[in-house]
Amino acid sequence: MKALVQDEATPLTARVDKEQLEKMASVVLGGALLTLGLQRRSLGGTVMALASSGLLYRGLRGLRQLASNPRDRREEGAQTKTPSVEHAITIGKPADELYRLWREPGNLAQVMSHFAELSTTSAEYTHWRVSGPLGQDLEWDTRIVEDRPGELLRWESVEGALLPNQGLVRFRPAPGDWGTEVTLHLDFQPPGGALGEAVLTRLLAVPDLLVNRALRRFKSLAETGEIPTTGRNPSAREGAHLH
Amino acid sequence: MRALCWNGINDLRVENVPDPEIVNPHDAILKVTMSTTCGSDLHFIDGYIPTMREGDVIGHEFMGEVVEVGHEVKKVKKGDRVVVPSFIVCGNCWYCQHDLYSLCDNTNPKPEVQQATFGQPTAGIYGYTHAFGGYAGGHAQYVRVPHADNDCFLVPDGLKDEQVLFLSDAAPTGYMGAEFCNIHPGDTIAVWGAGGVGLMAMQSAFLLGAERVIAIDRFPERLELAREKAGAETIDYTQVDSVVEVLREMTGGRGPDACIDAVGMEAHGMGLEYAYDRAKQALHLHTDRGEALRQAILACRKGGTLSILGVYGVMDKFPLGSIMNKGLTVRTAQQHGQKYVPRLLEHVRKGELDPSYLVTHRFPLEDAPRGYEMFKKKEDGCVRSVFIP
Repeated sequence: MKALVQDEATPLTARVDKEQLEKMASVVLGGALLTLGLQRRSLGGTVMALASSGLLYRGLRGLRQLASNPRDRREEGAQTKTPSVEHAITIGKPADELYRLWREPGNLAQVMSHFAELSTTSAEYTHWRVSGPLGQDLEWDTRIVEDRPGELLRWESVEGALLPNQGLVRFRPAPGDWGTEVTLHLDFQPPGGALGEAVLTRLLAVPDLLVNRALRRFKSLAETGEIPTTGRNPSAREGAHLH
Repeated sequence: MRALCWNGINDLRVENVPDPEIVNPHDAILKVTMSTTCGSDLHFIDGYIPTMREGDVIGHEFMGEVVEVGHEVKKVKKGDRVVVPSFIVCGNCWYCQHDLYSLCDNTNPKPEVQQATFGQPTAGIYGYTHAFGGYAGGHAQYVRVPHADNDCFLVPDGLKDEQVLFLSDAAPTGYMGAEFCNIHPGDTIAVWGAGGVGLMAMQSAFLLGAERVIAIDRFPERLELAREKAGAETIDYTQVDSVVEVLREMTGGRGPDACIDAVGMEAHGMGLEYAYDRAKQALHLHTDRGEALRQAILACRKGGTLSILGVYGVMDKFPLGSIMNKGLTVRTAQQHGQKYVPRLLEHVRKGELDPSYLVTHRFPLEDAPRGYEMFKKKEDGCVRSVFIP
């Protein structure tokens, strides 16, 4: 199980193991119903898989995107469908403070370090680098295009990026003593053709996971001053299978 | 260092693994002085809870001496003798602020699996599957404890390891289960399972003012402990036609005011339902054998409380209609240990609680696989095995 269960020091990109993922998901569901169903690849099997739990299936849909081939999601030769992901999290700190934390370059780099290396070139510009599995890096620069302190921040990749993308983070006071609701939205427009496909597979197969993790990492940093980790853990041998 | 590692279903081995290190600023490293088996470990040892990896260091109930601290650790110092609750908690998030420690938002580095299967992720645990964080456990010479200031509790001088070891998990779990029962004077509390957690729940029920406690189990030595140590009345479920009927008779036809399930997903039973559960579990068609929980629901008096401490995944044939029509209150959680350890230390210090009788078998860490075997099969009257590195 790579993409889901690994130390967050390793990039999440392109580390998807479909069989492991489905196995993991299904066993957690309470037995091998889903696995059985998916393995049988028959109508009965599919029904069995779905019947194992409608609710769980919904919950897993996001995860199962991991395992789907980008070709299933677009017509041959057409412009690749835009993956756009949005998640929200509640953080027990005031919006102003969270906005300031987000703007501190070192913090954002830590928050995103599970999939990208960030370096801040100026108050407005950030350089992103995502390493792929074959030693091929994907790099782009983003520029802040909208800035409402304590409320919202929007950025866009600059002209000529191989992977045009935009992002938005919004801070809204939460009810009661909950603090602030933080929403992170990422939008990618990969080019069509083989390159787009490679990019999708390598980076965007797991946009849901990337955004979710980034928000959770930001929350932990804001609330505790550290990000939970099992780095340098004595547990689990290198390359051990997930059961 | 030496550590007990999971290598597959029912395959535990003591191996050499890397020493733990300070990784985050609030970490501490403990030299483990004693650790113990827990019934909930059996679920992943037996393969009913997934997301284990070969080489995982297991164990979540332990104590030790602090040998190293990170630069942000303020209270805990080198040389402190501490007991550590099994759930890793940050102390800062909304859940920790509201004493709901096992629901901590900031200690599970791998939250996706639980988010997909439970709806939201919980706190991380030591040595308890990757869904629960994948942290190395305490059946080892050393263990890393994140957020040490919140998670290490200083042991008062003059108390033996055996007296405080179970404050890591069994005692706070049992105490929480009894607290869930909202006990009033005159109340009768029934407890399914007379293992470590069940026995602690029985004693806690009396500490919290119960008039009677009834223990349900099948092992004579456990039932004897329930009588001798906890002062409970007992039912051997293998000797009666219907536990539910016996409980009704014992309580003037009402049923117990509250029922505590301290068994979980690998319950044993007698009848047709047990055979059905057993077969489905063997085929991996569902993960849980729910005999104890079903009995508890049916036995509970109208308007009473069902307190669930046993660990469950998914279960079918769950008599929700009984809960609904009888207007039961269901209270459950993984243990919020950090809430209870201070008051339990006080009970132990005053001599009002001494869990050391749970230690029926002691082993050097090297013999931990044998210790788990005896614990699982309850050989030689084993209630808990403890390991000394």
